[in-house]
Order: sequence, then structure tokens, then C-alpha cells
Amino acid sequence: MSPLLKIDDLAVDFIAKGRITRVVEGVSFTVNAGEAVGLVGESGSGKSLTSLAVLRLIPEPPGLIARGRIEFEGVDLLQLPRDVMPEIRGSKISMIFQEPMSSLNPVMTIGDQVGEAIKLHRRMSRSDRLARVVELLQMVGIPDAEARMGAYPHQFSGGMRQRVMIAMALACEPRLLIADEPTTALDVTIQAQVLDVMNKVRQDTGTAVLLISHDLSVIAEVCDRVVVMYAGRVVETGPVATIFDAPAHPYTDGLLRSIVRPGHEERRLYQIPGSVPPAGSIKAGCPFQPRCPRKIDRCAVDMPPMFDHGAGHGAACWVTAPVRTTEMEVQ
Amino acid sequence: MSLAVPTVPVVRSPNFLQTLFTGNLAVTAAGVVIMIMVLVAIFAPFLAPMDPLTQSVFKINQYPSMEHWLGTDQFGRDVLSRLIFGSRNSLIVGLVSPVIAAVIGTILGVVAGYYGGIVDRLLTRLNDAMLSFPELLLAIMIASVLGGGFWNVVGVIAVAFIPGFARVARASTLSVVQEPYVEAAVAVGLSSPRIIIRHVLPNIAAPIMVLLTLWVASAIRLEASLSFLGLGTQPPAASWGNIIRDALSNIFGSPWPIIGAGLLITVVVLSFNVMGDALRDALDPETQS
Amino acid sequence: MLRLILGRVLDAVPTILLILTLVFVALRLLPGDPALLALGDYASQEQLALFREQMGLNLPIWQQYFVFLWDMVRLDFGRSLTSQNLVVDMIGRNLPYTIELTLMAMLFGILAGIPLGVLAAVKRRKWPDAAVRVYSLVGYAVPDFYLGAVLLIVFALNLGWVPINGAGTDLASRLHHLLLPAITLAFVKSAFVARLTRTSLLEVLGKDYVRTARAKGAREPRAIYRHGLRNALMPIATGIGLSLLATLSGSVAIELVFNRPGIGEMLISAIARRDYPVIQGGVAVFAFIVLSVNLLVDLAYVVIDPRVRAGK
Repeated sequence: MSPLLKIDDLAVDFIAKGRITRVVEGVSFTVNAGEAVGLVGESGSGKSLTSLAVLRLIPEPPGLIARGRIEFEGVDLLQLPRDVMPEIRGSKISMIFQEPMSSLNPVMTIGDQVGEAIKLHRRMSRSDRLARVVELLQMVGIPDAEARMGAYPHQFSGGMRQRVMIAMALACEPRLLIADEPTTALDVTIQAQVLDVMNKVRQDTGTAVLLISHDLSVIAEVCDRVVVMYAGRVVETGPVATIFDAPAHPYTDGLLRSIVRPGHEERRLYQIPGSVPPAGSIKAGCPFQPRCPRKIDRCAVDMPPMFDHGAGHGAACWVTAPVRTTEMEVQ
Repeated sequence: MSLAVPTVPVVRSPNFLQTLFTGNLAVTAAGVVIMIMVLVAIFAPFLAPMDPLTQSVFKINQYPSMEHWLGTDQFGRDVLSRLIFGSRNSLIVGLVSPVIAAVIGTILGVVAGYYGGIVDRLLTRLNDAMLSFPELLLAIMIASVLGGGFWNVVGVIAVAFIPGFARVARASTLSVVQEPYVEAAVAVGLSSPRIIIRHVLPNIAAPIMVLLTLWVASAIRLEASLSFLGLGTQPPAASWGNIIRDALSNIFGSPWPIIGAGLLITVVVLSFNVMGDALRDALDPETQS
Repeated sequence: MLRLILGRVLDAVPTILLILTLVFVALRLLPGDPALLALGDYASQEQLALFREQMGLNLPIWQQYFVFLWDMVRLDFGRSLTSQNLVVDMIGRNLPYTIELTLMAMLFGILAGIPLGVLAAVKRRKWPDAAVRVYSLVGYAVPDFYLGAVLLIVFALNLGWVPINGAGTDLASRLHHLLLPAITLAFVKSAFVARLTRTSLLEVLGKDYVRTARAKGAREPRAIYRHGLRNALMPIATGIGLSLLATLSGSVAIELVFNRPGIGEMLISAIARRDYPVIQGGVAVFAFIVLSVNLLVDLAYVVIDPRVRAGK
């Protein structure tokens, strides 16, 4: 089965003050139909830009997609004429953003904003559209949906607004839903509710999800597979269970040891020493090596390729590489 | 007596100068225009070919000639000489009144912002009331009851500008006072005047400077408008505004004074605006458009 | 809503009081005996005394102040010292001309300025943006009375397309007379509106909700106009509303240039005659207009922005 989304060797540049900075380098991964994939990394790791690149929503300038392919249903989105993209956005691929507070238009009613997504892609009578909006709002758990359609965003709480965003994204039954840090700006209890909504929606509609987060516990809640990014590169990828039980990259290992997990409560939380290097500052070798507790001499010289650890698990690390090293064909 | 002249560092860093002058032709041109106009105003008596006040019934409304490059007005006065001398009134008022306004406005704003309380509320209230009037209208209203003349014009324009400076100074003071290092200074018992001079003033200097440059342009415009309305520089003394006023009553006679004076006002105001914008961008990169 | 309006109106009361007080102080502080000014140097002592009695000038200063305030509240500005006309009638005659000029200039300025600003924002950093910037800079720098004089020389004097002075009588001739003065003021206005529109729109186009609109498949025009401009309209409307007063200030000089009747012309010619009741009336009218406009701008906010409408 060919994957729904296949990102291949993607590179994104940022141009500021006459300087070009490579912020995403050689990123490849796939999302299969109906699958939920988590894209994890610290801020500045390039995960958000990667997701924006899929919809070609990176503002140009200052951004620029320098290289690579983004195949969706077998078509390279980067080769499509610019004016075809709006037909795909919100229809086949939808996106929800981190900031529910600012991502909704303050002078349009909730109903109009959700309805707009339908209006843009579907021929539907006004009454059918309104009925659909109510149905969507009910699906994401907004009480009294019919009455609240005429409300404005400022009358909603953050969690409610994020539900509205999800409803809007699902309006045209997309095949892929990209969620960029959908819960980061919310209180912990609200986070859980929103994640529940996303899980329910997945079950109900069978849409594939690409969930971007810096929080591995959020990813574990929703996803089947994880892609770990660091400093613009993919450093590890594999099924959630495998990654959590036996991470093969020291960075992933550090991330896991820095969160609270059931069964590991007794241990002190770990902190990865140092901080993410500024984009473009890495000249040679593994980007994580300055902070890596297990680095060897080679790490500072050569960039490790993605090594196959079996069962769809891969990691870009010289130290943990299997003895018979074969470069992994990224799935 | 020492020969060494103490130099005062006006500019904070080379970076600042760089942003201000290099890479922007318009800014350089504006600087040159301002420099030339200031020199013209200073050396007016040497540059003007004729006396600006000498009238002659035999030379009324002449078109430009070798003798009178821009012709003569309805009193037979040389237009070029009047424009050159007019630059003095226009520039002096344009430079002096914003400076006065800046000094008074800054004092009021700092006092209001630093001490707060009832003083602040009263001053802010008064300020808001004045700010609700456009400067020109406020100036016209004040000048209507006070009348024209040099110091009245300077005063009127200064009063019209004080609220703007006071508001900026107050806002800047409020933000500075909340800084930890000022709180620390208060905690170690530094006296209020000392804190204001040491910490508050240096920090609000930049926004006040930017405003000052931009408002030199406004002041020149205001002086011209008031003089045009007969509320500014009084004849026979020349200013660009009242030259246009005189010429308009003689519109069938000669259009040259209008064209000349208007172009001068436009170019000088434009130059100061360009300078002010550049200064603002150099001092505060965030507001760059 | 009603409480909001009432609150804003009450807020304006101290300001009005302050301005009237300033006018009172300024006119009473002025050198020169009003009686002498009104009746001339040859008036007898008896005449002067009678005049002072009539005008209440012999009362203690605080009583004069309250009489003055009461007169203002009743719109009783007295009579012109020269023409003996009631000042309130003079204002009534002149005000419509000033209003029609100001509003027409606003209309022209907005009609030209908003498209220019949108163009500049959409074509940011390309040549239309640069052109609009130059246009704005010139518009900010050129004095309106100078522009008016030049237009007058070219289109009225030389080409004879429009009348040289006056304001006309019937509708067609009024519009004809209005054209050149309105265009003059509108030029300065459009420069301001263009810059304001560009800044506001650029700020809004960078907002998350415009990205959301794009993400759900809105094409650029829809993202820019439906989601962008609609939100940018709030700051634009406020800015334009407040700038109405700048145009009003400009109308004073323009009325003089084109020799049009109006409040500005009334005020300026009264100053030349030292006609204090008229000056007082003119200043009071301007103050009243300024406060009303500010009030209306506040209220317009309430209508456009659902957040304010809901009471924050």
C-alpha cells in the first residue's frame, strides 16, 4: 500500500538580512491512510515548518522550500501550480494551529468560520451547510451547538476554541489532519479533553493525523508512530511502543527520561544538558553531538545516516547503530 | 586656555550612524537639503541679492529676470530675497518651538509618570483633553485669542506640541520605573531627582529625540499655516507662509512667490520627515514598516 | 449600549468646561478694554459705562465667569461687534459650508487612499509599494493651502474649469464650487489614509487567523479582503475618524484660499477685526465639533467590533 503522505528529502531555508539559514534539512517520513504519526522535537527543531510546508503555507519570503518532494496521494504538492493549493487546503488536508486564541477571526461568528470551510469546497444549500456545522460542533463536543453558532470567538474559552478549530478542520472530511501543538496553549485538564476529541474524531472518521508536539506524552496519547526531529533533521523514527521502550537515539532517550511516565515515577527527572543549537550553526557531524552524553570521535566529523533497527524502527546515530550496519530505507 | 575642545559623544554606536546614513540615498539627500537650508538661513544677509523689505513702485509684479531671479511682488520687493530671509523665521520657529515643547512636555510627563497619584491624573486628564484636538486646530484656536507675532507663534506651536511629548515621556517613564534596576535604586535609597536624572531621562531620550525630529517638520508646517492665516509671522517681516498669503491677494499679478515658497516648505518638511522616519527606524528597529 | 453612550458623553463634560474656561481666561487676560474695543476710541465715559453694565463687565470676575458659562450653554455668543448680527446666526450660516467641504474631502480622500493602501500592502516591497510611499511622503509634506493656491491658479484662473471663489447657490453650482477645494484637502487626506491602510492591513495579514483562512482553502483575495481588511477596518476607521479633525483644521486655510464662506473664514476675518464675540463663537464651535467627533469615533468602535459591543 502506498502511503497517504510521503515527505522525501525536504529542505527549508530562511532568508533574513541577506543571510540564508537552512532550518529543515533532509527530512523524510511517511504517513499512511488512517494512521496517526507524531512529530516531536523541541522548539526550533523545524517540526512546525515541516508541517507548514505540506500545505505550502510557509510565508515566502522569508521562507523558501529549497529541495525535496511532498507526495500526497501520489502527487508531489511542491510541483503543483500555486493556485491549485487552495483546493487541497481544508478539503483533503486540514490544519489546526497552536494558538486557539488568535487563530480564529475575531469579527466572524463561529458558525460562519466553520461554514466557510464547507462553502469553499462543497456545493451545498445554505440550510444543509448550517446543519452540517451544527453536526460538526456537536461532534467536537460543543454543548448547545445550534445556539452558539452565532457567537464570536472571544465568547469562547481556549479549549472551546480549539474544538471549533478541529470542527473547522474536519468540515470537509479531510484525509489528513495536521495538528500543530494543538494542546500546548491549554490547561492540562483541557489538554486531555482536546486529545480525547481528536482520538474520537479519528475513530469516527478514519482520517490520518500528523500531530506535532514537543510533548512525548501528548504523542503517546494519540499516535501509532513517532518521528523525532532535532535541529532540522529527523534523528529517530519508529512505532510508539518501540520508541518508548527502547529508544535508539541518545536525544530521544534524553527526552523520554525528562518526562514523567507510569512505572518510572521513582526516578529523578533527567535534563538534557545544553540547549538546541541555533539553526544553521551546525557545520559537520551529528547535530546532537555537542550535547550528547555518549558521543564518540566520529560524531563530530560525519553526519550519521538513518540506521535500520528493524520493525520500522530507525535512528541516525553512530553509537547505537546495529553491528551489521545497513542504511535504512526510510519507509 | 586649553586648545583641546571637549568632544561630546552624540551618537551611541557606529551601528546607529550606519543605519542612519548608509544604504539610504533619500536620507542623505534629506540631510543635505536641511544643511543647505540652515546655512541659507544663517547667511541670509550675504546670500540675498536685495533687501527683502525695500519696496519700489516701478518694479511691481515683474516676471523673473536677470535682476530679479524670481521676479517681484505687488510692492516691488525681490521675491528671491524674501524667500531667503523668510527661511529664517520658518526655520527658527520650526526648530525652537518643538524644543521648548519637548522640555516642558518631558518635565510634565516624567513628573506625572514618576510620582503618579492625583498629579498624574490631573495632568493626564488635561493632556487627553488637549490631545483630542489636532495640533493645527489647537494652534489656530489659541492664536485666535492671543494674536500673531514671533513669540506668540513659538508659544502657540509649543503649547500645541506639549501634550504629545508629555504623553510619550509619561509612558516611557512608567515603563522605566518598573524596571528592576530602578526598583533596586529606590530600595537602596537613591533620591528621586537622582533616579530621574540617572535612570529615567537617559531611557526616554531616544523616543523624545525621534518625536522632536518629526515635529520640527510639523512645526515648520504649522508656522507656515499660521502665517498664511495671518496668525503667525507678521508683515512686513517675511516667512514662507505669509509670502504665500501676500501673493494670494495678488494672484493676478505674479504666481512666482507662491510657487517658490510652497516648494521650499514642501522640500524642507519632506526632508525633516525622512530624517525623522530614519531616526525612528535606527533607534527602534521594531517599528520598521 | 445606552449607558456606554451616556458615559462617554459625561466624560466629555470636564473637557468642554476646561476649554471654555481657557477661552474665558484668554479673552479676559487680553490687553485692551473690551468696551473700548467695541465702541471705539471716541466713545464717551457714559457710553463706556453703559456698555460695561450691559455686557456684565462691571461684575466681579467669578460672576462674569458663570454668566459666560451660562451664555455658552444657551449658545448665546452675543452679537458681532462690527455687523451686529447674532453670532449664533453667523455660525448657522457658515457651518454648512465647512461641513460640506470637510465631508467631501474625506470622501475623496478615503476613496483614493484605501485602494492605494491596499495596493501597497499587497504588493509589499515591490514598486507599487514604493510609489505609494513617495505619494504619502509628498502628501505629508505639501502644505494644503499651497496646493490649493496652485490648483486655483491652474484650473480656475488659467483653464477656467471651475469658479475662482464663493460657494455657489443651487446644488449643481455648490458641487462645482466645492470640487477644487475638496480635491485639495483630499490629496493630503488620501496620503494619510493610504499609509494608515497599508500599516493596518500588513499587521493584520500577519495574524494567525489569516493563516487559518488560508489553511482552510481560502484564496488570496478572500484571505486579504474577507479576513484581513475586515479586521484592519477597525484601526483604519478609528484613524480616519480622528483624522476628520485634521481635515477640518485644513478647511480653515482652504476656505481662505478659495475665498469660500465657512467657520474658518468667519473666524479668521473676525480676528482681523478683533471681533471678540465672533472669535469666541468660532472657537467654541470648533471645540464642540472636536468633542462630538471623538465621541462618534468611540461609538463607531462599538458598532464595528463585536468584542467592544459585548462590553469587553
